[in-house]
Amino acid sequence: MEDDQEAGGEEYLFKVVLIGDSAVGKSNLLSRFARNEFDQHSKATIGVEFQTQAVEIDGKEIKAQIWDTAGQERFRAVTSAYYRGAVGALIVYDISRKTTFESVKRWIDELTTHCDTTVARMLVGNKCDLENIRDVSVEEGKEFAEQEGLFFMETSALDSTNVQTAFEIVIREIYNNVSRKILNSDSYKAELTVNRVSLVKNGNDKQSHLSCCSR
Amino acid sequence: MALYFTKKASTAELDAYYPIRPECQDSVPKTRFKLRAGKTLSARRWHAAFSEDGHLDIESVLRRIQKGGVHPSIKGVVLEFLLGCFDPDSTFEERNTLRQRRREQYETWKAECQKMVPVIGTGKFISSPIITDDGHPIEDTANCNVRDGGVMSASSQDSEKKVIQWKLLLHQIGLDVLRTDRSLVFYESESNQAKLWTVLSIYAWVDTDIGYVQGMNDICSPMIILLENESDAFWCFECAMRRLRDNFRCSANSMGVQTQLGTLAQIVRAINPKLHQHLEEMDGGEYLFAFRMLMVLFRREFSFVDSLYLWEMMWAMEYNPKIFSTYEETADATYPSAAPKLNDKLLKQCGKFEKNNVKSGSGGPLAVFLVASVLETKNKQLLKEAKGLDDVIKIIGDTTGNLDAKKACTEALRIHKKYMNKAHKS
Repeated sequence: MEDDQEAGGEEYLFKVVLIGDSAVGKSNLLSRFARNEFDQHSKATIGVEFQTQAVEIDGKEIKAQIWDTAGQERFRAVTSAYYRGAVGALIVYDISRKTTFESVKRWIDELTTHCDTTVARMLVGNKCDLENIRDVSVEEGKEFAEQEGLFFMETSALDSTNVQTAFEIVIREIYNNVSRKILNSDSYKAELTVNRVSLVKNGNDKQSHLSCCSR
Repeated sequence: MALYFTKKASTAELDAYYPIRPECQDSVPKTRFKLRAGKTLSARRWHAAFSEDGHLDIESVLRRIQKGGVHPSIKGVVLEFLLGCFDPDSTFEERNTLRQRRREQYETWKAECQKMVPVIGTGKFISSPIITDDGHPIEDTANCNVRDGGVMSASSQDSEKKVIQWKLLLHQIGLDVLRTDRSLVFYESESNQAKLWTVLSIYAWVDTDIGYVQGMNDICSPMIILLENESDAFWCFECAMRRLRDNFRCSANSMGVQTQLGTLAQIVRAINPKLHQHLEEMDGGEYLFAFRMLMVLFRREFSFVDSLYLWEMMWAMEYNPKIFSTYEETADATYPSAAPKLNDKLLKQCGKFEKNNVKSGSGGPLAVFLVASVLETKNKQLLKEAKGLDDVIKIIGDTTGNLDAKKACTEALRIHKKYMNKAHKS
């Protein structure tokens, strides 16, 4: 890491969180994206887990550190660590279970409480392969996303539909947010550099984490 | 029986006790545990350890388990003793009476729950919400496991907060039951899934403090498999929860398991300050990467058989002959965090870890020292190769899959001693 920076190579590490009710498919979206795998017998996520995946945007390698979390409300107690430093979020519901869609608002509130509003956000209606038992229409999802100013996409971790695309859109948006800020403000760039490094190198400097999330 | 103790006793034979779905063979961790003649506690040895009227020579039993685990044919009944469901210093008759009493108590609770949610006890279960957050019944919609039991009667009791809180948990339990140990043939059966769901649901009703938290399903599942009688499985789980329930306690801003993570941080800081600092620099000072290991006691890192082996080993080492009476005295007594004073005779009936606790004071549960020992064995690699928490998780993940439960526990005991020595000096 240090070598790369000394060599002048730009390096990006973006933290993205996956949130939403239990059993909407968050872990499988992540495994589909990071390893192109789907586990029919996947288990409930306990606490927090995460994986890093590299993507190329505009010829630059960008690493996305994607945090996956337990869907049960009780686990929200550990969320401060979870949301800290997040610059992107996928809010996931299950198109075959209305209640998971109705919870989306709560998840967005949660995100807003803990994070900066410039977090790149996407609403994801997962399990779109279950067309025969669909409980939330595409329009409903789309409309809600528009209202809240979120990207929107329906995905299927099972058959891979849109999974790669969904993550890439979020990551690209983060990249754009960052680039804009770099153009606008040198101090932000400095801040961001600190933040970026701090995730891997200088984590006890909590201040730097907050800085990206507390304007 | 002898067949299973030949030198060639393969893990395949062991896995045959808990068959895995053919399509899942490749995705589950490999079993490493091997039955060892003269080490593993066999059914014959187990039965021989009882006196005529039923007193159990727990000392000899513990010695065996700490050497080589428990044979699959007796895992359930042994677990009941290890967890403190029964007093080894009691007769067959006394235990039968107690078992009967507990079964009746369980049936009473079950009937109570059944009145509120009729699907309980029908061999089916639910995974869709049955009420809204404010207590209004939800009509059963698609994607539900059962079509007849989701709607409950709107009795006056329903308005009670306790009932609402409980009902809100039932579909969460259902969602998790559907995802519990699905690689095992056992859970292909809907009635077995329903057994797990029922036990967890009734536990949530009884233990209102904890209710249900994800991860409890992983703890409960083995009891459901090992103990055929549903009530017995419930009580075995209840005893396990006495040790583990603090981990599942949630408040608005913290989770119980974080106390253990804090203990872990303290231990690593004391015995390996350099490693602790390195983890802190990677923003891993909260040790969240060990969250799951402690919460579900390494169930996700090991094959089914191996995690049972680890549990037996740990609980044998932590065994204290007083746990039964402590639990009996007060209905909500948890596993004592400080070891009670014991006379020499009782001290001999303690597991290895507990003996040290009695002598030199506690310092934390064995599981925490186990994680510390894993970190310690990977010290060099962690310091050299881990540049971020991903690496930490990967390095630890690679290790735990290859852990030998016995070696790991022995190493944890060593770390415990080292830590207690340091603590006494400072």
